Amino acid sequence: MEEATRAAVAARARERAWRGLWVPLLFLLPATLLVSLFYLLPVATTLYLSFTDISTVTFRNPQWVGWENYRDLVRDPFLGRILGNTARYVSLTLAFNIGVGLLLALLTSHVPERAGNPVRALWLLPRILPPVVYVLIWQGLTRESPFGLVSNVVGVSRNWITAEPWTVIVLANGMVGASFGMLLFTSAIRSIPADLFYAAAVDGATAWQTVRRVILPLLRWPLLFATAYQTLSLLTSFEYILLLTDGGPGFYTTTVWSLHAYKLALSNYFGNVQFGMGAAMAAVLVVVGVVVSVLYLRLFNFKALVGEPKIEVN
Amino acid sequence: MRRLRWHVGVMLFALLAWAGGVGAQTRTVTLQAWTIGPDNPSVTRFTNLQTAAERLNRELAREGAGVQVRVEGFFDTTDWDPYLRRVLLAFQSGNAPDIVQASAALSATWAAGGFIAPLDAAVQRYPQFSDIIPTLWQAVRFRGQTWGIPQDTEARPLYFNKTLLKRLGWTDAQIAALPQRIARGEFTWDDVLAVAREAREKNVVAAGKGYYHRPRNGPDFVLWYRSFGGRDYDPQSGKLVFNREAALRYFRWLRSAVEAGVLERDRLNNDWNRFHQPITDGQVLFFSGGTWNWAEWESQWVRQKGGEAWLWENFGFGPTPTYRRGGRAITLSNPQAYMVSQASRNKDLAVRLLAHATVPDLDAKHAVGSAHLPILRRTARLIQDRFVRESSWLSEYTTFLPPHPDLPRWQDALFRGVSAVESGSATPEQAVELVAQEMQRVLRDQLILE
Repeated sequence: MEEATRAAVAARARERAWRGLWVPLLFLLPATLLVSLFYLLPVATTLYLSFTDISTVTFRNPQWVGWENYRDLVRDPFLGRILGNTARYVSLTLAFNIGVGLLLALLTSHVPERAGNPVRALWLLPRILPPVVYVLIWQGLTRESPFGLVSNVVGVSRNWITAEPWTVIVLANGMVGASFGMLLFTSAIRSIPADLFYAAAVDGATAWQTVRRVILPLLRWPLLFATAYQTLSLLTSFEYILLLTDGGPGFYTTTVWSLHAYKLALSNYFGNVQFGMGAAMAAVLVVVGVVVSVLYLRLFNFKALVGEPKIEVN
Repeated sequence: MRRLRWHVGVMLFALLAWAGGVGAQTRTVTLQAWTIGPDNPSVTRFTNLQTAAERLNRELAREGAGVQVRVEGFFDTTDWDPYLRRVLLAFQSGNAPDIVQASAALSATWAAGGFIAPLDAAVQRYPQFSDIIPTLWQAVRFRGQTWGIPQDTEARPLYFNKTLLKRLGWTDAQIAALPQRIARGEFTWDDVLAVAREAREKNVVAAGKGYYHRPRNGPDFVLWYRSFGGRDYDPQSGKLVFNREAALRYFRWLRSAVEAGVLERDRLNNDWNRFHQPITDGQVLFFSGGTWNWAEWESQWVRQKGGEAWLWENFGFGPTPTYRRGGRAITLSNPQAYMVSQASRNKDLAVRLLAHATVPDLDAKHAVGSAHLPILRRTARLIQDRFVRESSWLSEYTTFLPPHPDLPRWQDALFRGVSAVESGSATPEQAVELVAQEMQRVLRDQLILE
């Protein structure tokens, strides 16, 4: 009797637990489906392709080649150069984006809105231009004189894209990228309670001290987000490089990992593309992205950021 | 009311019967054709197909075949890269057009991939094809079969600026004799360099404007490697070849040209405007181009200055020089070809349409309009055009790309070497090893290294 009751209680508990579970599961279902369809499936396909020799010629009967593509990658004598370019591109552009974004946010929120808003609106212009049009403008500006504005202003006639490819790439990317940080940081600065600024002023803090001791610590969360997000998107972005220099001038001068993968996998002047190899390069990029994200989370002390607040404010 | 309904019924019935009857009599087959220039004047690669369709339709109507043909598709003026990607994705997704036009050399790659159909049997059926210059068929043959119909051909000459040569003290007679001297191997690559160096020293040309070549990868690099004595294909084994000695000669020449201020170190700058603009501004002494550039320059670059008359006054051309005195000059033809996709359900009609496009008047129209060379032996008699007449002799010096599906990877590796040498990232010796290693890595047993 007692045993029967116990069994019944256990069954009821199981039922309750299940009932408590299927509702959240149901709610999770759409997101799970979407993630599987648009993230997990492509990742699995990419991984699968990276273990085959699929190319234009072998498209109809790709062969399983195991780690061959990865071994090939490691044997590529130019890999170091391309990796170096990638690190250079990501770090320089990221520094520009975050630095200028932060500077713009600080400056435009310290001047009257009448002046601040138009400046911010101006910085958004490159972002709303289609990349091809934007790059055409850059090409026009950087041509030799008498056609190019930069040459005319500086007084030295040269094609600035091939003369200073990295500067042009970082600037062209940065002019677009900085507005992202600018918007985020401005809204974060706006949401800081005014009391904190009053308190700082009462304590006699200088403008720099206010920025350093009040604003920056409170911007840690958007800073983490902007840095991590932009690093990942820069790792995979190459459209401005493709349009500006196509990885040149000359020998892999500005070829980054994602551009190289794109060229191997999808683009080739003579029409023989190596999907398998490109997939292997893309897979490596996924690993790099995950490693970098973990590093950032540790660097910004993510646990502390999402921890319970130490003071409860009502 | 009933009567009206009856009338309407009868009329409807009659209409349906008529429509059905017509439908049963003539069926319209739509043939998809994708074509590319990318130079604008080559639009006849597409419009000639439309004209051919009109003629074919008249013929079909006379035969009472019950079929009419409509040609749909496009002519691409952007670039090879997106075009070939589009074609490839179409092949792979089963939406391939019936007819694709591309470089004949690609027929080997696409045939190996199983995307295009062999045309040997069909070629025998139509007499139009028998007039095609026999050597052109080489370019579309692979593994003993024919995979395309030659569409046009061209030469890749070395151009020179007559006005700048005169400023260097050359007489009209000397300039007029230059093309033949190049052809006979009396004016070599070293002479090109010497004259360009002199022009630079006397300030006749600005730095880097003694010699220009294309700003990005292309078949021409095979030509220049060959002109320095290089061999790229072994017909016996059917393998690709890389000859270190010839490559070293080529790379050393490039390096010397850069160091002498004759060639820009960022010549591979991916920008065609930076090729055409200085050339048509009359600033460049020697420049390697294609015959089709002539039509581009005429219609897009020197129209304001007097068009073709200006070109004749200022530019001359000969074949690509050899590297040693007394050697034979060459040029490279990368003929275009129409190919029929394996997936096409109307292969016979497609080939028949191509037969109607392979006739002297359309061949002439394309050759004159786009400054390519005609592919039919009978066409020459129709053409009065001075450029086609005066450039046709270059065909005697022509060579073709080797028929190997992995040729693109060979070309990419050679191009890496050229860009390394020109930009100063590697010495000529290093670059040769770099190319050799790269070719071994990607071509494995398909490469003979000399």
